Amino acid sequence: MRDLLPFIITGAVSGAAYGLAATGLVLTYRTSGVFNFGHGAVAAGAAFLFYTLHDTHGLPWPLAAGITLVVFGVVVAWVMERVTRGLGDVPEAVVIVATIGLLLGIDGFLFIQYGNVTRNFPEFLPASGFAVWGVTVTWSQVISVAIATSSALGLYVFLWRNRLGVAMRAVVDNSTLLALTGENPKRVRLAAWSIGSVFAAMSGILLAPTLGLDANLLTFLVVQAFGACAIGMFSSLPLTYVGGITVGVMASLATKFFTKPPFNGVPAAVPFLVLFVVLLAVPASRLPRRKMSVGSLIPDVKPLPTATATALVVGGLVALSIVPAAVGTRLPVWTSGLIDVVVFASLALLVWTSGQISLSHAAFVAVGASTMSHMTSNGVPWGVALLLAGLVAVPVGAFVAVPAIRLSGLYLALATLGFGILMQYVVYPTWVMFGSKLSVSATRPHLGPLNAAQDKQFYYLVLVVTVICLVAIVGVARSRLGRLLRAMSESPVMLATHGLGVNVTRLIVFCISAFFAGIAGGLAVTQFGSASGAGYGPLQSLLLIAILAVCGTRLLRSSIIAAALLAIVPGYFQGFDVNHQTFAFGVVAIGASVVIAKRELLASMIRRSIHPTEPRMAWRVERDPAIRRARDGARVPAGMLR
Amino acid sequence: MSGLEVVELSVAYGGHKAVSEVSLQAPVGRITGLIGPNGAGKTTTFNACSGLLRPTTGRVRLFGQDVTHRSPAHRARLGLGRTFQRMELVNAMSVRVNVGLGLECVRAGSNPLRQLFSSASDRRAVDDATANALEVCELEGLADRTVATLSTGQRRLVELARTLAGGFRVLLLDEPSSGLDEAETERFGGILQRVVTERNLGVLIVEHDMALVMAACDYLFVLDFGCLIFQGTPREVQTSDIVRAAYLGSEGIGVAAP
Repeated sequence: MRDLLPFIITGAVSGAAYGLAATGLVLTYRTSGVFNFGHGAVAAGAAFLFYTLHDTHGLPWPLAAGITLVVFGVVVAWVMERVTRGLGDVPEAVVIVATIGLLLGIDGFLFIQYGNVTRNFPEFLPASGFAVWGVTVTWSQVISVAIATSSALGLYVFLWRNRLGVAMRAVVDNSTLLALTGENPKRVRLAAWSIGSVFAAMSGILLAPTLGLDANLLTFLVVQAFGACAIGMFSSLPLTYVGGITVGVMASLATKFFTKPPFNGVPAAVPFLVLFVVLLAVPASRLPRRKMSVGSLIPDVKPLPTATATALVVGGLVALSIVPAAVGTRLPVWTSGLIDVVVFASLALLVWTSGQISLSHAAFVAVGASTMSHMTSNGVPWGVALLLAGLVAVPVGAFVAVPAIRLSGLYLALATLGFGILMQYVVYPTWVMFGSKLSVSATRPHLGPLNAAQDKQFYYLVLVVTVICLVAIVGVARSRLGRLLRAMSESPVMLATHGLGVNVTRLIVFCISAFFAGIAGGLAVTQFGSASGAGYGPLQSLLLIAILAVCGTRLLRSSIIAAALLAIVPGYFQGFDVNHQTFAFGVVAIGASVVIAKRELLASMIRRSIHPTEPRMAWRVERDPAIRRARDGARVPAGMLR
Repeated sequence: MSGLEVVELSVAYGGHKAVSEVSLQAPVGRITGLIGPNGAGKTTTFNACSGLLRPTTGRVRLFGQDVTHRSPAHRARLGLGRTFQRMELVNAMSVRVNVGLGLECVRAGSNPLRQLFSSASDRRAVDDATANALEVCELEGLADRTVATLSTGQRRLVELARTLAGGFRVLLLDEPSSGLDEAETERFGGILQRVVTERNLGVLIVEHDMALVMAACDYLFVLDFGCLIFQGTPREVQTSDIVRAAYLGSEGIGVAAP
């Protein structure tokens, strides 16, 4: 026991901060109906602001902390309230993309501003301490826990004793009823966002001295909070706080027991294991839900007239086959673009055609890349290895389909994000995938007369494979399976009552998607000669989904535009590196979500510009009482804070 | 018994008994109505029949086979189709594709491989069933329209056509006239009566529109507060004091419905 105590103490200290962040997250989720994936990015932003004020500009720490908390409690909260209210009644996927946009935006900004290095974040609380049963406890640890616990307790008391707190519990239950009593739901939500953002900011500042100032690490810290939220079943604040401490202690104890490779990734993965297990074990009906908005996002998808489509395809192919002659040394950029089209098309099949949310798509690509490397280095012919790269990804896809069968919307997004992070921490470093150096290599093949070591010949090889993959994916989308998938995205109940249990259908689409993502991974590792596990982390998955969301909901068209944005554009604008991409697509994803939410308004503005007699729609939808009633009804998840 | 049979069905939500010990039959060849005031337990009974919720006690039999613990998909493959009050249609697709999905779901559900690959004869069967159902429901003119652009009355017919294409022997229709005007309701009732006699289908229909119920149904079951209070022909129901009391209170005046 004595030798476990230090681990329990450090675990409890960081766990208190996780609990604090998680409490704020649950509070904002329940009051606004929007689960903020960017919560950890808010924490990271606060830590960087505090660092800049305290260390760079030399402000005393209480003043720096005060300014940081005010900035986040007022400015960020106001922005969040505005944006989430602007989203109104949109499908859950759009809300998820919007908050992922926030995550990417803040992260990208921090990367650009401070670089991708971990900075030392000096301890600002007293480092002296005292001994408890022979274990040194520092005053900074005591103060951290005291701050976190008193804040969480304070919130609890506030919710039960204060008038605004009671209103906050009421807004969760029924915001229209609350409005009828004369309280303003907007004000209540703003207060909730303030508290949530301040809690995130505090946890960021408290954790930074131990974690170091690393935007990526701090951002995905939120997922530690996800584990805590899961323990609190996304509704109970006290249980969430206790969950935070539990997750912290478990992760800390894991560092004692899992010290050797390949298991040394386990401690970091503990919160996601907790998240994953809770999501798989708890009946979906126990988890609070945002009522689904009716209607599909996918517009009436009429295939182009055959003649036009043929002309476009032939024209596109001709253009692509003269690319090597036209682009000179930038050819590898175009090859990457082709590969990314396959990545995006496999993702679009999952997200747009079948309505499943997957935030771990990069993991499928990674499986393909590492398999390709292992196969080719063991003498498997290139073509066979590429096929195997796809096939090995299939069982991984089937595994992700398991949460998809039980969950949908937000919880599926959370489960897949958790899965992606698990893969990165636990599976990537093993020999099965990238090994402890997180890197694998592959050589380009000689296929008969084709010497793919030359970029030009390799380009044509990739072009052929890409075309085959796209034909197959489009074929799937137009087949019976495609019709069933589109029907599933709108009404799984309809399929079930007409004789088709949708579980098998979900499984099939995840397998198909993983297969093509795996093929793309195999191509990617061949192109660059090597692949690094770091490039296929959860941030990459989020970036993929944000870019795809920005490019529209069509299968082929959106995938091509998305690939051009991800791979080809940066090749021509050197400044537009991955950090700027992360920032730009984050911001654009937020914007795109709001545009989708306001699409009817925008359509009416366009109609009015053509026919000025068209009736005018109000920008502030909430002014229309009927819409407000419907919107608020849809916005507030059922159930009370317990 | 040929058709759908519910035996002493009870459903409780937590402590509240929504349906208690209801028995009813919907044999093929006739239109059976399930009526009752709001909150009487009609939709609950319906959902228990199609398998969307588990009954607390009681049995559901389909063509003599006990399907109480079968999934909705399994029941559908045994010949039980249904429509929804809220109309579960795929708005982004055409009427023709929506109607065809009725049979495609049955085919794909019976063998997972058929989700991926469909034989030529399979596709022809779907096309034929679709064309036939569109014709019966007088939807040929709308076949290539997107469902999202249709009126409520037309959408109700698309749902009916989809169950017809699916080849189900017993249909559960959940408030098919809600949102329809009088002429549309009359047209719907006419089509329904025609297909029941032509195809020897069994139909169980939950309905508020008494004009449709009285005109189209051959036999009625009346629920109130989760209990079966009366059964009989529309004429018997119209003259029943029990039913009148349930709808209008025991001091009721006039007739239960026009």
